[in-house]
Amino acid sequence: MHESNDSPVRGLSRRDFLAYCGSLAVLIGLSETGAPRVAAALEEALKKPVLVWSDFQECLGCTIALLQSTAPTPAQLLLQQLSVAYNEAAMAAAGFQAEKSFDDGFAEGAYWVIEGSIASDIEGAIAIAGKTAAEITKERYSQAKAVIAIGSCACFGNVQARVPNPTGAMGVRDWLRGPGGVPGATVINLPRCPGHGEDLVATLTYVLVNGSLPELDSYGRPLFLYGKTIHETCERRAHFEAGQFVERFGDEGAAKRWCLYKVGCKGPVTYASCGINRWNGRVSWCVHAGPCTGCSEANFWNDLTPLAEPVPNVPVPGLGGLTAEQIGVGIGVATAAGLGAHLIGQVATGRLGKGGPPGLVHENGSAAPGAAAAQGETTKGGDA
Amino acid sequence: MAKVVIDPITRIEGHLRITCEVENGKVKDAWNTCTLFRGFEIFMEGVDPRDTWHYAQRICGVCPNPHALNSATAAERAMGVAKVPDNARLVRNMLDATQIGYDSILWFYILNAFDYVNVPNAANAKTADPQLRAIQEQLKAVLGSGQTNLFSNHYWDHPGYVLPAEVDLVLTSHYLASIEAQQWANQACAVIAGKFPMIMNMAAGGVTQLPSVEDIVYYKDMMSRVKEFTDTVMWPDLLAVAAAFPELATFGVGVGNHLTWGLLDGESQEPGDRVFPPGAIFAKTLKTEPVDPSKIALYTKHSFYADSMGGGRGPFEVGQAEIEFSDYPPIEGDELPSGKYDWTRAARYPSPSGTDVPMEVGPLSEVLVAYLAKKPEVVAYVDEALAAVGAPGKPEVLLSNLGRVAARVIKARVNCDYALTWADELLANLKAGDTECFIEGDLNATGEGVSGYDAPRGALSHHVRIADGKVTKYAAVPASNWNLAPRDDDGVRGPVEEALIGTPVVDPTKPLEILRTVHTFDP
Repeated sequence: MHESNDSPVRGLSRRDFLAYCGSLAVLIGLSETGAPRVAAALEEALKKPVLVWSDFQECLGCTIALLQSTAPTPAQLLLQQLSVAYNEAAMAAAGFQAEKSFDDGFAEGAYWVIEGSIASDIEGAIAIAGKTAAEITKERYSQAKAVIAIGSCACFGNVQARVPNPTGAMGVRDWLRGPGGVPGATVINLPRCPGHGEDLVATLTYVLVNGSLPELDSYGRPLFLYGKTIHETCERRAHFEAGQFVERFGDEGAAKRWCLYKVGCKGPVTYASCGINRWNGRVSWCVHAGPCTGCSEANFWNDLTPLAEPVPNVPVPGLGGLTAEQIGVGIGVATAAGLGAHLIGQVATGRLGKGGPPGLVHENGSAAPGAAAAQGETTKGGDA
Repeated sequence: MAKVVIDPITRIEGHLRITCEVENGKVKDAWNTCTLFRGFEIFMEGVDPRDTWHYAQRICGVCPNPHALNSATAAERAMGVAKVPDNARLVRNMLDATQIGYDSILWFYILNAFDYVNVPNAANAKTADPQLRAIQEQLKAVLGSGQTNLFSNHYWDHPGYVLPAEVDLVLTSHYLASIEAQQWANQACAVIAGKFPMIMNMAAGGVTQLPSVEDIVYYKDMMSRVKEFTDTVMWPDLLAVAAAFPELATFGVGVGNHLTWGLLDGESQEPGDRVFPPGAIFAKTLKTEPVDPSKIALYTKHSFYADSMGGGRGPFEVGQAEIEFSDYPPIEGDELPSGKYDWTRAARYPSPSGTDVPMEVGPLSEVLVAYLAKKPEVVAYVDEALAAVGAPGKPEVLLSNLGRVAARVIKARVNCDYALTWADELLANLKAGDTECFIEGDLNATGEGVSGYDAPRGALSHHVRIADGKVTKYAAVPASNWNLAPRDDDGVRGPVEEALIGTPVVDPTKPLEILRTVHTFDP
């Protein structure tokens, strides 16, 4: 920590602050000589939560997304509400001076936000100051007050875990729980591509207010953010119910903003808060412009592709214990029933739960809490 | 002799180490080492050609739009679509305009400003302006918190910080304002494309849909604000920085070869019809040559791939498959990088004499080529900048760090002017009942598509081959393969490495000047 003559209280000079502490000391029964004790206690109480933000195998999209937040604004968040010790995109220092900020941040008791995946096969595919992401994670995990993985790379490996996953890219939690890691390690996962600044703020706020972690689903995602599908909150939902679908990009249905299911929308199997906090100051969101890609789901690059094709293997009512709401098939609507029949056809031909790819349904056929598109806990980010 | 290693280079996209050998107060030799690898060319084999742009835009979360655009263009060409409907061209241009608008602001202030603006010194400024005083109070609270913050541990005592406290405060206030300004551009992007970063409305063959009239009106409002910020805040700030740091024009010249594929399509969709046309400049001659992405030559002798993968072959013949990585060069000790030291491949382009040479890419290359092509709007801004720095009629002074800084802002101004024009053209088309925006390609074609179109950091090309509805070969040659190229098989340095040679270093433990040169490339 650097020395400073400035005061921790806005509007007070250091001298005025110490004088203020002196009068407070007298007030609470200490003599004026108690002023340093009061000052130290006040300074401690006025400290802001410390954030250390690491970038591993990533594209910086999550940092850029955070910069698009409007409530709070990035300036409010990074300068007023938090004390950000380390973020490579924004910090002034570089090189070993930056490394010192990294060390100092942990020494001050940091919440650790990680953007980007860990390379488990070619560990050197991501290194900072000569240390691999794997080495850094192992060294720092226990020093952090909490670890938050922002964006799908840090959660599940994301695009670089697409088969054949050349570097062995993995989410932080999965890597920590793997060989040589920390059994039972806890990481709060905030997937989406990119991660959303408001998800991070909401989660940090929850942790700070409650002093505990929010309830997580089997993927480490807070249920209060990942409890609903895109389909449930979709602005085009009425057209799904009415059987009005975009058949081809640029067609009349596209102009009328009809349902995107047939051109590849993954909304029915995708759990995220997109419909609530939307994007870019909430002015828009994905399905305003095109089909949902399912980016908050583990392993979506392997299990939900081709993205241009309709969702494969969607569980339907009466099968696997899923409710109609979970896949959004309306009741008593002829077209929805038709869609259901199509999906039942897929199941009947054995593409669901038998020969199909893992990841959409648990082996016993039931959905994980809050995650219809769930897959086994031990997934290694598509390292299949 | 002193070995200086900066790892991490902060305020960039990606992961970068710079190693320099400093002698007599100047950089004598330099090496750049990218410390991130993901393997896009490997895992994009086998994907659906309609999906490639979704993958490709994840190459860079700072500049996803031109990756999506190049990838969709290459894929649609492979599927037999040579030209997209004019409305799709307009929407794609409008999205790239938001990209350039935001990225220029992000780079100038958030990534670059701390190399020149002394934030702690801003707290010492004397001002009666209530807004500036409020910002000062906010700064003092952060700096005096006793907690490590974004300004901690930096060498603010470096003699290279020469601005008066009052100027530091004004520029710091613009830094804070820039955070909101870049949001406007991305809100304009989001209203059309769903979100930024990672757009949702691209399609191989055009775009998914056209924005509504309401969306376009919102777009125009946001981009008008971006234009105002660019013209009335960033432009004067550029001129102020250029005047205060005249030495910027004296180092960082680099290889003196420039390459651009061009960007921002005209109505014909031919490369020559672009707002910034394609072209190359060799050996600082200020004369342009035609360019062709099929002539790209890749070398891997100093990259973490087998030597045999590169050898000067083109993107379709090279890949990332044969990895040869054991470790990075040591940070400690006197040992300098040798052998393989970089995840980046060395991209080269043939000079008129036929030798493969390193090429600088980026806004400076784009602006120089457009200036030499006498594009009137580019000429006007370049001449204004040259007059402001006391070098009227001398575009050669732009072959320096100063040129790179200035060109980013010049490009942004041209871009903002066009953004509003395209929006009006699209509105006119909608009014006339022209709503075509997508042509479905032949998914099962056997074909090849190449698209060269510059990203904010410079030349970017995507190369794809397809058969039976799948990608059989994918290659991307981004700006980092050009600017952050390591040495090639003949030992010739890459553009950033070369630009560092001669950079003054007052104190090897506080290498501010190295950061400045590296940051001018927006690496």
